[in-house]
Amino acid sequence: MTIDSDTIRHLSEVSVSVELETEDMTLNIGPQHPSTHGVLRLVARVDGERAFDVQPVIGYMHRGYEKLAEVRTYAQITTIVNRIDWVSGYANEIPFIVACEKIMELEVPPRAQYIRLILTEMARIASHLVFMASYPLELGAASPLFFALRERERVLDLMESVTGGRFHPNFNRVGGVKPAYGSGSQTRKIVQDLPAGFYRDARAAMDRVLEVCDELENLVGGNEIIHARTKGIGVIPAEVGASFGLSGPNLRASGVDLDLRKVEDYLPYGDFEFDVVTGTNGDCYDRWWVRLNEIRESTRIVKQAIDGIPSGPIQAKVPKVIKVPKGETYVRAENPKGEMGYYLVSDGNNGPYRVKIRSASFSNISILPWVLEGVLLPDIIAIMGSLDFVLGDVDR
Amino acid sequence: MTSNQSDVTEQTGTATVHPLQEFADGVAAAVGGVAEIHFGTVKVRVPAEWWVETHRIAKEELGFVFFSFLSAIEWANDVAVGFPLSEPVEERIEVISTVGDLAEGRRVTFSTDIDRENPTIASIVGVYAGANWHEREAHEMFGITFEGHPNLINLYLPTGFVGHPLRKSFPLLSREVKPWPGDVDVEGMPGDSGAADEPSTENPEA
Repeated sequence: MTIDSDTIRHLSEVSVSVELETEDMTLNIGPQHPSTHGVLRLVARVDGERAFDVQPVIGYMHRGYEKLAEVRTYAQITTIVNRIDWVSGYANEIPFIVACEKIMELEVPPRAQYIRLILTEMARIASHLVFMASYPLELGAASPLFFALRERERVLDLMESVTGGRFHPNFNRVGGVKPAYGSGSQTRKIVQDLPAGFYRDARAAMDRVLEVCDELENLVGGNEIIHARTKGIGVIPAEVGASFGLSGPNLRASGVDLDLRKVEDYLPYGDFEFDVVTGTNGDCYDRWWVRLNEIRESTRIVKQAIDGIPSGPIQAKVPKVIKVPKGETYVRAENPKGEMGYYLVSDGNNGPYRVKIRSASFSNISILPWVLEGVLLPDIIAIMGSLDFVLGDVDR
Repeated sequence: MTSNQSDVTEQTGTATVHPLQEFADGVAAAVGGVAEIHFGTVKVRVPAEWWVETHRIAKEELGFVFFSFLSAIEWANDVAVGFPLSEPVEERIEVISTVGDLAEGRRVTFSTDIDRENPTIASIVGVYAGANWHEREAHEMFGITFEGHPNLINLYLPTGFVGHPLRKSFPLLSREVKPWPGDVDVEGMPGDSGAADEPSTENPEA
């Protein structure tokens, strides 16, 4: 029997008319959901498999750091800011300390700046490796986790050997860095700043990180299922992202060629050669790809910094009690999650008058209602994971 | 505003050779504000009634398409916790916002003063979509009303929370019931001649 075109048209119209009338349902995702990286709650109106009007509910982890900073001294605040984005705790200290140093007009010794820079890039590698581990897991691929976390542990061990802490180093001091953990004599004033063998171990770790990047590129980037789940999903145009304050790898994945390491002067990044990684489509796959390549660029920076690290003191001369003179400034830094900055207002006291913490993840997830409008339910997980947020960085 | 004006002239007087000055003056002229440079941060003061128009010009004419943050500073002479100001100021709430461009990585902070008793300012959500959450946070933390905001409800705090935690008059209850153990940090070590230049009793939360 042959079917003519009229019959086909008739059949297709019939199939449209029998589409089910569905009722909207309100779906609560979280706050205790594994894909939310902490305690984020989403309230979504769901029509079948599609989500509309998704509203994030935050604040379950609000610790009031801006108020706490007002009742602490400058030296005590680094312990707080460590805990904002705990996946890259070290990197959070830098903009705050640099803001103090700017108002004090303090010259930080080059060696201290290089140590800060090496550890910041290691924190970036560690943070991006967590993303490399968790993102495929959320999409249903378990093995990349073991590859990525194994190398992250190597990097964290190095950070621990210098700072004494894996997640919350509290290593920066106004004017320099702390003498390294376990180094030097406790009784005589011999200060050895980096532990023995650090350069050799760091170079080896960077080589291993580069290898695991290649492995991840094959394992995840060459996976058809990952492509189907991420390519063309959650597209964020650059102008929309910028208007929402999206920053860091998320914005660069949309093709924006801006890296604060290139334009701000908080650490001596001008001494090194590295490329700003940008994507083209602004979809989930590009956000994954940009982070993968940022790990490679960070290993380049670490290797150059180790080769070129100057000798000299690691601490500028500062008074015993840090008092920041009257003044205010905003210092922002390129953190693993995006733009992290502190607006510091000081009045010459032991502690600040006001600290505004601009955290990257807060602005990064404020775009969720826009980007999740009308997407399929499984894509919510894919899109949220690709934004790489940490709830401590959202709630502060 | 008069006390601010004198600060401004001092700033611009000392900063004539500053490389940022030209940029700061350009932005200030475009939005009709007064430029200041604070340790590398360009701050442009504008009147509160120009707040939205300032941001529209910044985004559409000056190319500051990236929204960084919006927040506030309460300038108060009496503080419940923390360090008080060394000299009296005109009591007010200063609303600050920072925007940036994507090509050269420039940034500028806009600032305006509003009344402390009844803080009200127009919302810039229509210009920068990302201001939505930042304004909700400033609303609950400082009690600022943003006129024209689509959904001005609490962001972090539970509905019905009484008070505005980042106001200087808001006490930190944990400090009221127990002294802060971290105070020992500002005392000199025993036998240390170069000890702290200030005894801990002067610390306000002791």
